[in-house]
Amino acid sequence: MILWRAGLRNVLRHPWLTVLAVLGVALGVAVVTAVDYANEAAQRAFRIAAETVAGRATHQVVGGPSGLPDQVYKSIRVDKGFRASAPVVTGHLQLPAKSGARSGATFQLIGIDPFSEPPIRSFSSQFKDQSVLADLMGRPGTVLMLRDTAAELGIRRGSTFPVDVAGVRRHLVLAGYIEAPDRVSALGLASVLVCDISTAQEILGQPGRLSRIDLIVPEGRAGEGVLRELRGGIPSGADIVPAGARAGALDRMTRAFRLNLKALSLLALVVGMFLIYNTMTFSVIRRRRLIGMLRALGVCRREIFAMICAEALMIGVTGTVIGIGCGALLGSELTRLVTRTINDLYFVMEVRRVPLLPASLLKGTFLGIVATLLAALPAAIEATGAPPRAVLSRSMAEARRRKMVPVAALCGALLLLCGVGLFLFEGGGVVGGFVGLFAVIVGYTLLVPGAVVLMAGALRPVLAALMGTVGKMAARGVVVSLSRTGVATAALVVAVSAGIGVGIMVGGFRLTVQSWLESWLRADVYLTSADRSGGRYRPALGPALVQRMSTSPGVEKMTLSRRVAIDGKDGPTEIFSVQVPESSFLRYPFKEGGMEGAWESFSRGASVLVSEPYSYRHHVRTGGRVTLRTNRGLLQFPVSGVIYDYGSDSGIVIMSRAAYLKYFDDPGVDGMSFYAAPGTSPSALAAQLIERAGGESVTVVSNADLRKATVEVFDRTFAITGVLRILTLAVAFVGILSALMAMQVERARELAVLRAVGLTPGQVWGVICGETALIGLLAGLLSLPLGVIEALVLIYVVNLRSFGWTMQVSIEPVYLLQAVVLSVAAALLAGIYPSIKIAGTSPAVALKEEE
Amino acid sequence: MRRLLIALAVVALVLLFIRAYRSGIKGPDEKGERLQINQVLGGTPAEGFLRANAPRRFIFPEDHGPHPGFRNEWWYFTGNLQGADGRRFGYQLTFFRAALTPHPAPRTSAWGSNEIFMAHLAVTDVAGKRFRYAERFSRVAPGLAWAGGRPLSIYLENWRAQETSEGPFGMRLSAADAEMALDLNLVPVKGVVLNGEGGLSRKSAAPGNASYYYSMPRLASSGSIRIGGESFRVTGLSWLDREWSTSALEKGQQGWDWFALQLEDGRDVMFYRLRRVDGSSDPFSAGTLVAADGTTRELKREEVELKVTGWWTSPTSGARYPSSWRMRIPAQRIDLEIVPRLADQELNTGFRYWEGAVAVRGLGGAPGGSGYLEMTGYAADVDVGK
Repeated sequence: MILWRAGLRNVLRHPWLTVLAVLGVALGVAVVTAVDYANEAAQRAFRIAAETVAGRATHQVVGGPSGLPDQVYKSIRVDKGFRASAPVVTGHLQLPAKSGARSGATFQLIGIDPFSEPPIRSFSSQFKDQSVLADLMGRPGTVLMLRDTAAELGIRRGSTFPVDVAGVRRHLVLAGYIEAPDRVSALGLASVLVCDISTAQEILGQPGRLSRIDLIVPEGRAGEGVLRELRGGIPSGADIVPAGARAGALDRMTRAFRLNLKALSLLALVVGMFLIYNTMTFSVIRRRRLIGMLRALGVCRREIFAMICAEALMIGVTGTVIGIGCGALLGSELTRLVTRTINDLYFVMEVRRVPLLPASLLKGTFLGIVATLLAALPAAIEATGAPPRAVLSRSMAEARRRKMVPVAALCGALLLLCGVGLFLFEGGGVVGGFVGLFAVIVGYTLLVPGAVVLMAGALRPVLAALMGTVGKMAARGVVVSLSRTGVATAALVVAVSAGIGVGIMVGGFRLTVQSWLESWLRADVYLTSADRSGGRYRPALGPALVQRMSTSPGVEKMTLSRRVAIDGKDGPTEIFSVQVPESSFLRYPFKEGGMEGAWESFSRGASVLVSEPYSYRHHVRTGGRVTLRTNRGLLQFPVSGVIYDYGSDSGIVIMSRAAYLKYFDDPGVDGMSFYAAPGTSPSALAAQLIERAGGESVTVVSNADLRKATVEVFDRTFAITGVLRILTLAVAFVGILSALMAMQVERARELAVLRAVGLTPGQVWGVICGETALIGLLAGLLSLPLGVIEALVLIYVVNLRSFGWTMQVSIEPVYLLQAVVLSVAAALLAGIYPSIKIAGTSPAVALKEEE
Repeated sequence: MRRLLIALAVVALVLLFIRAYRSGIKGPDEKGERLQINQVLGGTPAEGFLRANAPRRFIFPEDHGPHPGFRNEWWYFTGNLQGADGRRFGYQLTFFRAALTPHPAPRTSAWGSNEIFMAHLAVTDVAGKRFRYAERFSRVAPGLAWAGGRPLSIYLENWRAQETSEGPFGMRLSAADAEMALDLNLVPVKGVVLNGEGGLSRKSAAPGNASYYYSMPRLASSGSIRIGGESFRVTGLSWLDREWSTSALEKGQQGWDWFALQLEDGRDVMFYRLRRVDGSSDPFSAGTLVAADGTTRELKREEVELKVTGWWTSPTSGARYPSSWRMRIPAQRIDLEIVPRLADQELNTGFRYWEGAVAVRGLGGAPGGSGYLEMTGYAADVDVGK
């Protein structure tokens, strides 16, 4: 019991240190929990939505860009007699902006045929109310939604509400409610409107076309026979793919993105672990006299070990509880950021009301408590490992530490080598990249104590010149108390370098994207449909509008483009078809191939270009071939060039409009761009185009605005990275503060001796702040190379393997400066409290005080 | 103090987890439910639809086709067939048309329709003692379900009845399911018979609670039938019942027992007994006697003595159905014992009923024959009089 009281006393005597240690754990756990929560929430929401909507379908018949003709369904169900089939017409629509709750929210409209449905979707067979089905089928514009969604939107059964479809305002009638059979489905259906298939065709403007046909095909040999039979009966543009293909591909698409976030969050935890290690080591070293005395009095090793572990556990548990609380709050904010990024980059998704996931909490708790205990382990071993007499002697502990320095350095060097090895091993993938990165970080930190000794020695003359004896003392102090300064510096280095690495990476990426936009966006004015509900894909513009715009005066050249996704066995492939003047083509940002030779075959439709990520993911280079499912069946296209593209990390295939028209039977145009004729200013052209578009809902933007908007999307994408970077820095800041503050508080007696010997309070300030500032400076300087290494790894290994993007490296001095300033500032701040305390206490009192 | 802190922390954690698990989500429920489509078929309000109020002039072949404007309509083919080896079969192929609204809305999508088709296919294998049935639904849409045209075709997916000749009016029935199939040519032996008052069949005293109802009682049938993996060449007699209405039964009427009997002496008897909730026969029960030469005579309730002489309880639905009957029409020297060829010919479809082939034995020297029997309103979950 007395042991526990001693421990508690220790905590109470230095409340600040305890609070900071708890804060360190809490921050680390909060970041990990929040990121995990955000990732899981987004992933779950997507998966649940996909599964609920797909129902029990095992396969889907999918068509070209404009779907399938109605007759395909008849040929499967009636001619082939395969009745486990159901047609689906689906698309997106938006609630109008400023329409109250969830204004501007995107809904998925799912048109089904209730009579072919019963085996497939759980929600479709539940028309409990007799008149609902009659309304749904017999009355145009009727839809169903979840009761909760209707309540939230303030829509009652039978009332009308407006939506925007492809930029056109439509009015729908709520005919009734979907009954979700369980809560999972309810989550998946929160942003879904169900309607009759006829209504969906009418609202989405695609009469006679189906989005897909869901099938339930038995497993095994019988199923294979059925599939073969069915494949024979579908038109050449269509294909039968497993129902999970799309969901799986989308899952894979965002995997790298989510993994990156997770790694960043783990980094915060690693920094947090350093903090705990530091705090615990410190609390042991500070009490080595007490521990020695206790041991001498007969307290056994196990009890001491238990006491230290219990202390760590208390810090761990408290920090974890606070951390999880904060993590849950932070998580919902991060979820918003993650969802926005996924919406910008990948596909349309609404994450609604995802409950706190037990798995995220468990992970956070486990990491928090286990990491704390692990970090406390070395300290506990140290306190119990040495004989009582040795524990009492501090110099011995320090001497042992210093002897360890070369060993640590050697281990560090080895780890560094391992990390580098992992970078060179291409097969390691993104995970290998991150493991290597962590190996490099840990290896580097093991080198830090040695570097501190060397650098402090090197800086001693400088400090001596600046501050005289006091300066010398400060420099010497850093080396002498290496047991504390070494770890503190290492923690600082990890945290600060992470900030530098991420900063440089994002900065470089941004610059790359800007220069890419420069060569990619060459026209003066761009026109697209105003509808954004389909995410990357926009509905086609009306043919009359395209015709009208094409003949605008003041236009020298123009391009027509269409961006579509073609579903296949491995998920969708994005095809960007474009009718572009030769001069623009030649200025495309080619990575390889291109130039005149490529233009000739590209413009004829005899070859295609692929983007860099596509080339990386599918191992296709210039001279290779890509296979695409067209309306003429599976066709191979030669690749005549690889271009840089940062718009999609799953990659795109670029084909000439001539080829697209020939192979896909889709005359639609969703984007137009115009080059102003000499004498016409871009803004005048834009104004004229808007006028010419009349009342049609289109977006006309100038080149500059489009670039700005694209960079904004980029910045939004990295907003979450920025948040994580700041959080890591916050953890680091707390770490430095607590480590250095603890160190100085503990030196009270030693400083009192100095005071007694004749040092003025001002000189004590000098010694303390000199020492902390020196550590801050050393940490700042040491973090620079690690930060740059991290940036290079992130760019050349992690990003390349995750997204297939090459980017420029531009090391902005501002990030480096920021790092050094941050560490020195935190260090100085840490010196203030001990300095005031010591300067204000009479030396005699301080001397009397027991350690 | 410290123990207290740790204890508090642990309690807090546990509470947090309990909350998380409470709000956690359960796995999806795999249990599917049957489409409650029968409710739709009977549930649309009758306002705005046409009613069978007065006798009308029937024009054929037009009236073989659909009658939009009425809420319900059916083409009811039943028959007793025999293989070359004497093996007996019964079959039923029925197309029901139900309108959701009185008038179709103008739609641009071909899927837009206010009409639904339901079809039942059943084959009774007397020797194999098995009754197979299947049910299908579809909206009226090109290629999926439709009735009309000249020559007339009625289909729901690949179940169809196709006019083969106009005079005499012949049809070909073809329908297949995994378990069974039939392909039959029907040629009328007798012409069209109008039931009730020249085709207006009143079902209660309320005006409009009536249907237009005609039959083709004797259609020589030949073709093939498949049950399981086995096919049989068959011949026999079929019966076509055609009825369209908006409202037929009223409150207090629980169901009906409908007999379509083809006697050996060339006469045909159609009689339906409307059953009241208390079990008694409704005064509007009626029938038609068709002579061998095709002349008809209306049968009043009082002329027909009908007695249940045995009962059968369905193991599937638990419903209790009559399993043998005695029918006497003394004035016509008709005295029949009517027994199902198979006790279990219950269709456990969205709308549950019993419909099957019956053997008809003449008593006291009267002629026997064969026929079809339909019994509704016996299953507890069916409330046809609503």
